[in-house]
Amino acid sequence: MMWKEKYKIGVELIDRQHEELFRRVSDFIGTVRSEVPWEEKLSKIKETLEFMKDYVITHFRDEEEYQAKINYPGLEKHKQIHDDFKAEVAEFVQLFEETGFDEDLVQRFSGKLLAWLINHVAGIDQKIGEFAKKQEVPHHES
Amino acid sequence: MKAEYINSIYQAAQDVFKIMLDVGTQKDDVITHEVTDDGANITIKLQGDLSGTILFSFPKETALEMVKIMSGMEMDKLDSFIISALSEVVNIICGNAATNLQKYNKHVDITPPEVLEDPAPKAADNCELLPLKTDIGAVKLNIKLDENDK
Repeated sequence: MMWKEKYKIGVELIDRQHEELFRRVSDFIGTVRSEVPWEEKLSKIKETLEFMKDYVITHFRDEEEYQAKINYPGLEKHKQIHDDFKAEVAEFVQLFEETGFDEDLVQRFSGKLLAWLINHVAGIDQKIGEFAKKQEVPHHES
Repeated sequence: MKAEYINSIYQAAQDVFKIMLDVGTQKDDVITHEVTDDGANITIKLQGDLSGTILFSFPKETALEMVKIMSGMEMDKLDSFIISALSEVVNIICGNAATNLQKYNKHVDITPPEVLEDPAPKAADNCELLPLKTDIGAVKLNIKLDENDK
């Protein structure tokens, strides 16, 4: 999973967090997909999931605060997308716990996470940057 | 089925392939088959002003290449990770198609994608085929949509 410069929206804090998210998710998927026996890599998977859960919440909050600051008209819709994603992740986490981190379930979660994050950052979040540019908002103040 | 509905779906597929994969997409005039028997067939239902299904058929090579591009990792078999990533791509395309359809005052909701496990999958009767050729292989969309009276 490759971070690309074109994913930058021109807001320093958000871009830094996106890049970090890509790095973490990429590491996570690398671990999930590695040939190492499932039991051996499970502790790393759990640790990365715990980190991502907190990081995603922080990132979503910062991104929503920035959108509010620039009066982004898509804020409510964007917040709904974040909330839906958080709910889906919470559902998966509950299932992980109920099934003892079933490998197939974690594989499915990883595939969804991969596609969701690319679309969110490369597609949906770009509109925030485009709006900010039109408003001539000073990007580096966030 | 009105051309603008098909075009709303085509536009969404083209945009998502470009944004997520950096892959160009065009309509294909060569129709070889409707659904793949070696790849992934994923369907989504639409409900609302229009109701019906869109079945996305990804031949194995296209499916593997799509996930390879997204993950940066070599993929050699269609496992649950790949199917799940493709299902999310289908979900995203159909979500964007629903947004595009609003331009024609058609409001639709989509259901979560379902994977057809049938070893000999079939498209719905009387559906419209939208064959796409992309830089990484073919993708077939089988679209069946009916207008509902408001």
